[in-house]
Amino acid sequence: MYKKMKLADTVRIAPELLGDDVNDAVKIALINKLEGQIDKKIGAMVAIINVVEVGEGHIIAGDGAVYYESIFNALVFKPELQEIIEGSVVEIVEFGAFIGIGPLDGLIHVSQITDEYISFDSKNARLVTKESNRSLSEGDRVRARIVAVSINEQDPRDSKIGLTMRQPSLGRLEWIEEDVKKNEKAEA
Amino acid sequence: MLNTKKFTRYERARIIGARALQISMGAPVLLEDDSGEPIDIAFKELELGVIPVTVKRSTDIITT
Repeated sequence: MYKKMKLADTVRIAPELLGDDVNDAVKIALINKLEGQIDKKIGAMVAIINVVEVGEGHIIAGDGAVYYESIFNALVFKPELQEIIEGSVVEIVEFGAFIGIGPLDGLIHVSQITDEYISFDSKNARLVTKESNRSLSEGDRVRARIVAVSINEQDPRDSKIGLTMRQPSLGRLEWIEEDVKKNEKAEA
Repeated sequence: MLNTKKFTRYERARIIGARALQISMGAPVLLEDDSGEPIDIAFKELELGVIPVTVKRSTDIITT
């Protein structure tokens, strides 16, 4: 889920920037320090929206820079368990599909894509179901549910988000439409 | 503005040291004449009381 959060942090302003506007310098420093970072509690920092308040600066012995306390608004993305997300397939591998969900990627294991048996078509880099012959390849839009979150703060790329599509109204968007039509027909 | 006499000699040393380091690392000089060594510039700035720095004492907080 994307959230706008009010956060506080201390940033280092290099001495060559001291003559300029403090708010601008703090904003740039916050962007450089935080954007792209991942925190277990807060989630992935997507963007710094604006700086609300710049507090006192501190001069620490041995460093010519000034450390400013600041309060700012930031856009963050935190994957929550049970959350439904939509994204596109960024990569198909033998054991499943990687889904890009904003700043992070999630993995859907082959066993979690459909109820059917799925085989990996390595020539076309896609996953194909055995009975209904549905396929999943790079670029497809899917809707999925987050079922596991493991965030690694040190190495954000090593963070793992587990997804599933084995539930009604989840899957590739085209499949969902097909299923809806099928159900309507069955009712009529 | 800040007056040199308000600071103790230890504070003066700390301020000049910090300010000289800032200048040597590229901070803008607050004097019209920005020639000379950073330490000399810092000294002059303190004499003129143009350094935007306050000293926070853990005891004896001064009332201005």
